[in-house]
Amino acid sequence: MKGKGKSQDKDCPLLFPDLECIDHVKLCPRYTAVLSRGEGESIGLEELDGIQVDLETLLNSVGKRLKVLENEIQILQNWQEKNGDIKPLQKAKGGKVQPETPGKRGKGADEKPCKKFKDSAGKPVMPVATKLKTKIGQIKVPEFDRVDSPPVEISKLPKNNAVNKFWASVEPYCADITQENLKFLEDLLRSHEDDSEYLKVPPLGMHYSEKWAEEDMMEEQKQGAKISDKRSNGITPESNGASGLLKTADAGLLDESPFGPLTQRLVSALIEENIMAPIDDDMDTDYTENESLNESAAISPKELAKQLNLGNTAHLEKRIKRELEEQGILDFDDDEEDDENDEILRELRAKQAELRDICAHNLQATKRLYKLAREEIDQQELRRKLSTSDTEVMEAYRKIQLAKQKKKTPTKKERETVIKVLKDREPIVKALDI
Amino acid sequence: MGRTKGSGASTSKHMPPEGQSPASSEVSTSSTTSAESRIKESLKELFSLIHQVQEERSRGEHNLSNIAKTHERMQQEQKITPYYKSKLRGLYNTAMQDAEGEAELLRKALDKISEIKSIREHRRFGDSDRPKPIMRRGVLMSMLQQNAATLPLWVSKPGERPPPLCGAVPADNNYVVKPGDKVAARVKSSDGEENWILAEVVTFNSSANKYEVDDIDAEEGKERHSLSKRKIVALPIWKASPETDQEALFPKHALVLALYPQTTCFYRALVHEPPKKPQDDYSVLFEDTSYPDGYSPPLMVAQRYVIICKEDKKK
Repeated sequence: MKGKGKSQDKDCPLLFPDLECIDHVKLCPRYTAVLSRGEGESIGLEELDGIQVDLETLLNSVGKRLKVLENEIQILQNWQEKNGDIKPLQKAKGGKVQPETPGKRGKGADEKPCKKFKDSAGKPVMPVATKLKTKIGQIKVPEFDRVDSPPVEISKLPKNNAVNKFWASVEPYCADITQENLKFLEDLLRSHEDDSEYLKVPPLGMHYSEKWAEEDMMEEQKQGAKISDKRSNGITPESNGASGLLKTADAGLLDESPFGPLTQRLVSALIEENIMAPIDDDMDTDYTENESLNESAAISPKELAKQLNLGNTAHLEKRIKRELEEQGILDFDDDEEDDENDEILRELRAKQAELRDICAHNLQATKRLYKLAREEIDQQELRRKLSTSDTEVMEAYRKIQLAKQKKKTPTKKERETVIKVLKDREPIVKALDI
Repeated sequence: MGRTKGSGASTSKHMPPEGQSPASSEVSTSSTTSAESRIKESLKELFSLIHQVQEERSRGEHNLSNIAKTHERMQQEQKITPYYKSKLRGLYNTAMQDAEGEAELLRKALDKISEIKSIREHRRFGDSDRPKPIMRRGVLMSMLQQNAATLPLWVSKPGERPPPLCGAVPADNNYVVKPGDKVAARVKSSDGEENWILAEVVTFNSSANKYEVDDIDAEEGKERHSLSKRKIVALPIWKASPETDQEALFPKHALVLALYPQTTCFYRALVHEPPKKPQDDYSVLFEDTSYPDGYSPPLMVAQRYVIICKEDKKK
């Protein structure tokens, strides 16, 4: 079900997944059997199990399709945002909430399943966090008492510091998740889009012997320039530079054709070659003709290129390759075959494979973390509300206590407040599912 | 089409349509016939639901082939224009809506099936004090197999997470297992050995926090145990789909308790391979000192009978 391959566009991050429906005739035989019955007929009880299995297979493929589609739509959206095609605040159909809408406490679908679905990672975190908070609360309370009577207790404060330091050091691990954390994760996810950079194999640079030769030449030139400068001012050294010198030195030896291998092969296939020399008397004349042909062919290919006005031979090579591939004469080969003797390339490819794996793993883990962080933020919001409503309840309770202490019956107003705050607290507790 | 007669879910022959014979040795005929008519109704509804599902699918196929064509065209372009992007988005959104509609119908059909099954179960064991029929080993094993295979599959909607008791997702702390559900129970046998056995919950005593469970493979009278909540682990009630909810499956090398094939006891094991398709089983290596490296060769255990292992190594 994976992608049919990337597009020609280098920038395109889309995967073009295969979204075909599964063939229910092949994979869900009992389902198909039911379908083939006409109206008015029904299903037998004994077929239920088989039908259940088939329906589950269909549901599974639909679920997969939905996930893939959601992913693609998200990629498309990100890509279009990057290029500035659309405004960033559009909601995809999949119901993703953009983090720029912090006011909303989660999608509608999230609210309802909130009760049923437990974040198993959230549960252990919550008790630890509450433990931490109560501990901090406990420590703070005695501190408040001490602050009230400073002269006597000042010496005791430094003793508690170690404990405070500990809780302060643990704080970052138990602190609430903020929108900044979310942004960080998003950036991390986006940075993976640039991964393809690392997976390109750069073209072979100059061989080190040539490079060193060039550098040596440059050194000597500089030396020469310094000396010649002393003798005569301002005569600029040959602007050809070391590379030019080396090339002219080499070029004379090789007389290479600038044309790529494919071009050469094509042209040689098209030239009619008289391989068999005719054994007639006309041989001489033919021979001389051949000779003259050969002579004309003896023009350096470079000059031939100039004559035919073929500017960029690399381009020509590419165009010819593409044309041949489209005609079906040449097979597509996606990766250039690596030179087996090229150990460096082999090593490079191995490292690239490792990098690919690690990046995929990181991406998956980051995505999961992001999802969990989003849910945790919603939970935190609820917890904050709970603590405020808790304080309200405590307030109302204290008032009632006060009234009782003064041997007065609590007023109707106070009673109503109590009922109201308790009622308010209930739905929050339910939503948090404590 | 034939229907099964009376009690028992074993294989049945096709019966003539007029065979609405009242069930034998069951509760009063009135409730039986009403249950039967409910079943008949539900079957008819299921039938029409299935047809609706197919209609949805054929409607959606048109859009999907459009998408495939657009993909092809886009892949040949050098640069993808905004026109193509927005067109693709539109097509994707339509495809999502179609898929959601199809999923909705499929879920309804599956719910209908479980409804029918529960009516049947209820009808069969309507009398809860009636002792369960003693089954031979082979029949018991095939019943276990069938239970595992027909465990409902959970497929998350986008943005949804698998619920507790789906695959490897643990139950909530205050979850109470319903009577009739299966659990793994840690019981002390007569010779002092503690084993995790497959059992069925009868009741839960909330004041004492204890479960009454029945060993599904014990002789008459020796089956009931009363165990504290800590010695009971609920078996999953959903299967997780490896293609949509990878996180609800035990990963490779995880330590689990798995039902040894052809027995009704759970033993410690390491996950060798999680299932690849929804109907596949886990491949696990049981801890077994009779093998040189301490582990058995990989054995297949259904998702239903693989649970988390919490205990420390004894012995």
